Amino acid sequence: MESRKTVLICDDEPALRELIRAALDDGYLFAEAGDGVAALDLASEVNPDVVILDLMLPRLSGLEVLARLSRDEQLRDVPVIVITAWNETREDVLAAGAADFVTKPFEPDRLRKAVRAAAER
Amino acid sequence: MSRPPVSLQTRLITASAVLALLVIGVFVALIFAVSATRTATREETRSRRITTSAIRLEKLVVDVQNGVRGYAITGNARFLEPYKAAVRALPGQQDEFEALASGQPRQRKRAHELNAMILDYVTYFADPVLQFTNRQAAKLASSDEGQRQADDIRKQFGKFIRAEDKLSESRARAADAKSRHAIELAVAGLAGSTVLILLFGLYLSRSIARPVREAADGASLLAAGDLSLRLSERGPGEVGELTRSFNEMAGRLEETRVELEEQNAQLRESERLKSDLVNTVSHELRTPLSGVLGFTKLLLSRDFDSETRRHYLGIIDAQARRLAELIDDFLDMRRIEEGRFERAKELVDMVTLLREEAQLYSQQSPKHQLAVEVGPKPLPVMGNPNRLRQVIGNLISNAIKYSPQGGIVEISAEAENGSVRVEIRDEGMGIPPSQQPQIFTKFFRGDAAASGITGTGLGLAVSRDIVESHGGRIGFTSAEGEGTTFFVELPGANGRGGEQGNSPEQS
Repeated sequence: MESRKTVLICDDEPALRELIRAALDDGYLFAEAGDGVAALDLASEVNPDVVILDLMLPRLSGLEVLARLSRDEQLRDVPVIVITAWNETREDVLAAGAADFVTKPFEPDRLRKAVRAAAER
Repeated sequence: MSRPPVSLQTRLITASAVLALLVIGVFVALIFAVSATRTATREETRSRRITTSAIRLEKLVVDVQNGVRGYAITGNARFLEPYKAAVRALPGQQDEFEALASGQPRQRKRAHELNAMILDYVTYFADPVLQFTNRQAAKLASSDEGQRQADDIRKQFGKFIRAEDKLSESRARAADAKSRHAIELAVAGLAGSTVLILLFGLYLSRSIARPVREAADGASLLAAGDLSLRLSERGPGEVGELTRSFNEMAGRLEETRVELEEQNAQLRESERLKSDLVNTVSHELRTPLSGVLGFTKLLLSRDFDSETRRHYLGIIDAQARRLAELIDDFLDMRRIEEGRFERAKELVDMVTLLREEAQLYSQQSPKHQLAVEVGPKPLPVMGNPNRLRQVIGNLISNAIKYSPQGGIVEISAEAENGSVRVEIRDEGMGIPPSQQPQIFTKFFRGDAAASGITGTGLGLAVSRDIVESHGGRIGFTSAEGEGTTFFVELPGANGRGGEQGNSPEQS
């Protein structure tokens, strides 16, 4: 059996982080960040396989986090799944470097499939 | 300036009248000169006729004298022929002479005397010759006495003619002088009129043409959008009025434009706030909704142990409550917009209310310590307990949200000059001075969205409306990076049985 994949969950709402953890299979390792700055620090620390990123984050917005990840040599290939509240258009988000995106409120199954597809790439 | 304004019309009419009078004066002077010349000519002609008449008369007298003398010396009747003719012509010539000379009193007198002398001479010396036709009478007529009388007459004629010449000359001189004066006057008048017309033209161009030109140019600039343009307001009467009205109009246009621009900016700001609200609502509603729907879906699709199930149901409950609160806020906002807020009259003890609210919120954030500092005595106010609870809850919730690093939230209340003053102090980020004036504006959230602080931007707007509908006031002091203190002052209800605490029956 191959090693377990690491998923970094970035969302300021603890209830949603818990929902995301519950929605995904138990086969992942999780790292959690409540704001944009913590998200970047944690990303370079744990070198995740997938990042789930809410765009509305304290301290550093999700789009800014996305931009910095894609400029980082070590992290630029990590797939990022963006969670939006439908404020941004699909084109904007994908142009900013996201691998996929789900809108709030999201189907747990839809997120699970998106993460699995991203992790196996 | 300080002179009473003379209307332009009056000035123009006055100037035109002065010019017209001047021109009339010039014409009168010229007519006078012409008529003086004509009179002089007429006088001269008359003088010439008088002189001619006098010479003719004198010649008749000489004819008479010569006839008498010739006959007396020679006795030849041939000499009597011119004499007879002269005597026949004399009365007519005398009448003509006297009539012509009657224009001037002295000459008339002289003429009259001359005629008398001639009559005398003819009667006493010449007529006897004619009647008797004898040489004796002729000798008498040409005697020394007759000769002397005839010489007197001729001398008198000489005097008369010289006087007439002199008179004519002086008349001509006077006429010349008059005519010269009149012409001088006319020339001066014409020169004066010319200068005045030039000055008038200059005045017209300076005081009317130029300001009107400026006003026209100004109007073009105004039409092109330069509303800051103002004209010089100097100018006589109506021109001054025109420029003043122009400036007033430009001023009003500018004011209107500024007003419109301000309104436009306000509209745009309100549009932006609304658009922000849509984003906020979208995010604020979708986040708890995600929790509710997501956990519900999980619970429906998978089996969890009872503890996990309870935990998830707890989360669903909390998220659903948050949704309900948000909807309340929006409804309150609607009430604010429609200007209606129910205000139940009930005695509410602020001390009890503060304690309960602090208790409620202290469970929400482990990072914050809520310190309630109130005295033992109740602080009653009249009002709607649910609404007042909403205000206090909102302020405490803000104190927690805007001090994300944690810390102490101090809640105090005291009676002050018949009112109850509540203070809620945090050690958070504070409010930047630039944002302070907008804090109570609907949907205004400052940097909260960027900082990830939740909210609708309605809490303080709703709170202020509630406090003001209770006859109180709400405010704050804040230092950026040090914290914020909000206060609420409500009219105290101590005089109305406040000591008895909450007693709904009394309302």
